[in-house]
Amino acid sequence: MLLSKKKALRYLIALFIIFTLNFIIPRTMPGDPITNLLGENFIASEATIQELKIELGLDKSLSFQYLDYWKDIFTLHLGYSYHFNQKVISIIFMRMKWTLALLFPSILLGAILGTLLGALSGWKKNNLGNKATTWAFLAVYSSPPYFLGIIFLYVFSFKWGLFPFKGFYETGTFLDVLQHLFLPILIMSTFAASRNYMIMRGSVLIEKEKLYVVYARAKGLYGNSILFRHIFKNASLPVITLIALDFGFLLSGALFVEIVFSMNGMGTLIYEALLSRDYPVLQGCFLIITIMVIAANFFADILYSFIDPRVKEKA
Amino acid sequence: MDLLVIENLKVTFQTPPEQVRAVDGVTLELKQAETLALVGETGCGKSTIALSILRLLPENADVRGKIIYRNNDLLLLPEKELAQLRGKDISLVMQNPALALNPVYSIGHQMTEPLIVHRRLKKPKAIQTAKNLLEKLHFKGPSNAIRAYPFEMSGGMKQRVLIGISVVLSPKIIIADEPTKGLDDRLREMVLKELRLVREMNRSSMIFISHDLNAAREISDRIAVMYAGEILESAATQEFFKEPLHPYSQALLESLPERGFKPIPGVSPSMIQPPRGCKFHPRCPDKKEMCSKQRPDFKRTKNRDVKCVLYS
Amino acid sequence: MLNRFGLVLVVLFVLIAILADIISPHDPWDRFEPYEKPNRNHILGTNDIGNDILSELIHGSRASLIVGIGAAIIATLLGLLVGLFSGYFKGALDEIFMGITDIFLMIPRIPLIIMLAAFLKSSIWLIMLALGLLWWTSTARVVRSRTLQVREMDYVASAKCLGFKNRHIIFSDILPNIFPVVVPKFMLTVATAMISEASLSFLGLGDPSMKSWGLMINFALIKGGLVNEMWWWYLSPGLCIILFVYSIVSLGFSFEERKKVNLR
Repeated sequence: MLLSKKKALRYLIALFIIFTLNFIIPRTMPGDPITNLLGENFIASEATIQELKIELGLDKSLSFQYLDYWKDIFTLHLGYSYHFNQKVISIIFMRMKWTLALLFPSILLGAILGTLLGALSGWKKNNLGNKATTWAFLAVYSSPPYFLGIIFLYVFSFKWGLFPFKGFYETGTFLDVLQHLFLPILIMSTFAASRNYMIMRGSVLIEKEKLYVVYARAKGLYGNSILFRHIFKNASLPVITLIALDFGFLLSGALFVEIVFSMNGMGTLIYEALLSRDYPVLQGCFLIITIMVIAANFFADILYSFIDPRVKEKA
Repeated sequence: MDLLVIENLKVTFQTPPEQVRAVDGVTLELKQAETLALVGETGCGKSTIALSILRLLPENADVRGKIIYRNNDLLLLPEKELAQLRGKDISLVMQNPALALNPVYSIGHQMTEPLIVHRRLKKPKAIQTAKNLLEKLHFKGPSNAIRAYPFEMSGGMKQRVLIGISVVLSPKIIIADEPTKGLDDRLREMVLKELRLVREMNRSSMIFISHDLNAAREISDRIAVMYAGEILESAATQEFFKEPLHPYSQALLESLPERGFKPIPGVSPSMIQPPRGCKFHPRCPDKKEMCSKQRPDFKRTKNRDVKCVLYS
Repeated sequence: MLNRFGLVLVVLFVLIAILADIISPHDPWDRFEPYEKPNRNHILGTNDIGNDILSELIHGSRASLIVGIGAAIIATLLGLLVGLFSGYFKGALDEIFMGITDIFLMIPRIPLIIMLAAFLKSSIWLIMLALGLLWWTSTARVVRSRTLQVREMDYVASAKCLGFKNRHIIFSDILPNIFPVVVPKFMLTVATAMISEASLSFLGLGDPSMKSWGLMINFALIKGGLVNEMWWWYLSPGLCIILFVYSIVSLGFSFEERKKVNLR
């Protein structure tokens, strides 16, 4: 069994509650419920509105609406966007791949870079180079990623013309895509790395005082091999927890970076939806992002149980 | 011939604002295939000696003196060369096996590590070697033990695993630091039996560190009694138990259950500001006036070394 | 050295926010010649409608610091309460509280706030409250695990034997021992809250009646500050955010590292 029953139950409850929240919010917010459900781009005659009210089930009681809401979710009916003139689910699916193309390489690179450098920084003596690396990562840690995006965009694209200034759409070769994705991925992976770096560094600082390190030396291990053969695995446990917890935060960061680089992903979609108050799209995005965050947590739990044998036993 | 010679070893821990003098001028020799027991109360500096031989003390330890092994002073050897001796020539059975074993690696992984690091063995071969060794040590189900993780084992099992690891590379010297601490009688016997076994396997010398006098009596050829960072008496084990010379040795033996359980009066001395003169004099039943003034030197009497004015 | 630097900067920024009215050279709402380059009268130039950027920056520290510190205070108090009760009483209460914490951990916080802000009229108070109510979870976890350690200590057991009330034990015996873990956590929460506020403002969800640094960046971008190469306009609020967050985060981390050494 990969996951304890208790954990699985918590995931289900979380999913249930967050989805319910998504049902409640548009119906309790001030303003016209039709507008809240269809978006401000929807303008229609009184007759159509009455028809739509029936179609949307707004004439029914809340509990009926709630049941319908779940039915819609299981059949992937997330509503219709009058701003984009498309089904919400198909817009999101179209845009999601660019967000994922930015997010996953960044999380992976950030994890590798951050844990590796953080581990070395915690392990080595605190010399000038080490301190400088920590300062640099701390500075990235303290920056809103979109602001880094603005600076990079200005310097590399606007000033030096090394990278395209405008965003891109689905045409283009692999190299073209890579050129467009390079700066956003660079920024997001450094940002992710900075968070992993700080945690890994602190974690190694604790772990290296433990007795098993002395024992590893007694067995004849020397230098960095103590770090990589003994400390690294123990110290990376908090980082795995962090990567799961951070996923939502990084995802949000990626959304903003997308907007800066005018990438055609979910971030830009949310931005457009926000400007035109296209509520169905906003809600749809919220649902899909929730599913992504929960999936990431689920994955991290499994990874954790592979690294820490003590967890597998309890599950 | 002496395999290992410790000369005037002094270890001071800098823990501002204080200095803890854990080892205060210890001289010892360890002969080929000899087992030397180092006994004394907890906190008298026994373990510090063990760790300073392998230079495993924390950075705030100031270590002086000489530790000669094969014409090399271990205290002066470059870290890299010393690392090649650790585990291979001189191995250590640590106290507190629960913390010494790495929680996230299997026993097999940790047992084979010396073979992989020092001998560059391939993993399957190393595992086989480890398994054979566990079998020789009478482990029940060596294959299961190899696959197990430390948290799945009892304290006694972990201690036995440490003993197993100490001998995988057939070392010349095995240092066993309080190996029977916290074990019940049955496990204690088992561990002692095992230590005898590993010692015999390669005719290794052994430094057996313990506060358990009976264990020391069972296993050692020679015994050295430590008090507050100093050795007060060193003698052949048989003779020592027949007739301890130093008042502290006598008191120590009398505190044993089978000899009347008489506790030693007074408290252990401070390691920060040890008493002047003989460190034992405040608790000594036979103290003379000069004991509080002058620290006695080793004197050779009745085929042993004693540090007490009574024998000078 | 790092933390002294951080401490000085944090204090400096707080002083600037408090004394904004006195030290700022102009009223941030006064209008001068628009799009001026930095000059003697306007050290950081003026924006599109002629507001003095330095004065805006000085007054902007108020909104930014209020949101950051306010949200962190709400989050820390909530996290402290949940963690303390969870760790102290254990059992069913612990299960329920930690279940709730796990669920909150999985809410995509910024997207949720975006959605709420889309429906409601945005203000810094709303953002502060929303950030605070959503960001307490990791504090709660840390506090809980520390409480579990502390409650096993001897003096807590003896306080129980002496018949002290639970409330008394929690607040006078356990709480003081939890501060070493809460203080750095609080500082990191300030940092996250400020970065989040700046990001939300970037989407135009800020409070136009009380301009924060994030909102200044947003205005500078839409009003062409980037394309016209008026770097002093968008760069200075960004650097203020980074500098303040940097100083508070470095304080937090150095606090944590020192604590580890002491606890050893």
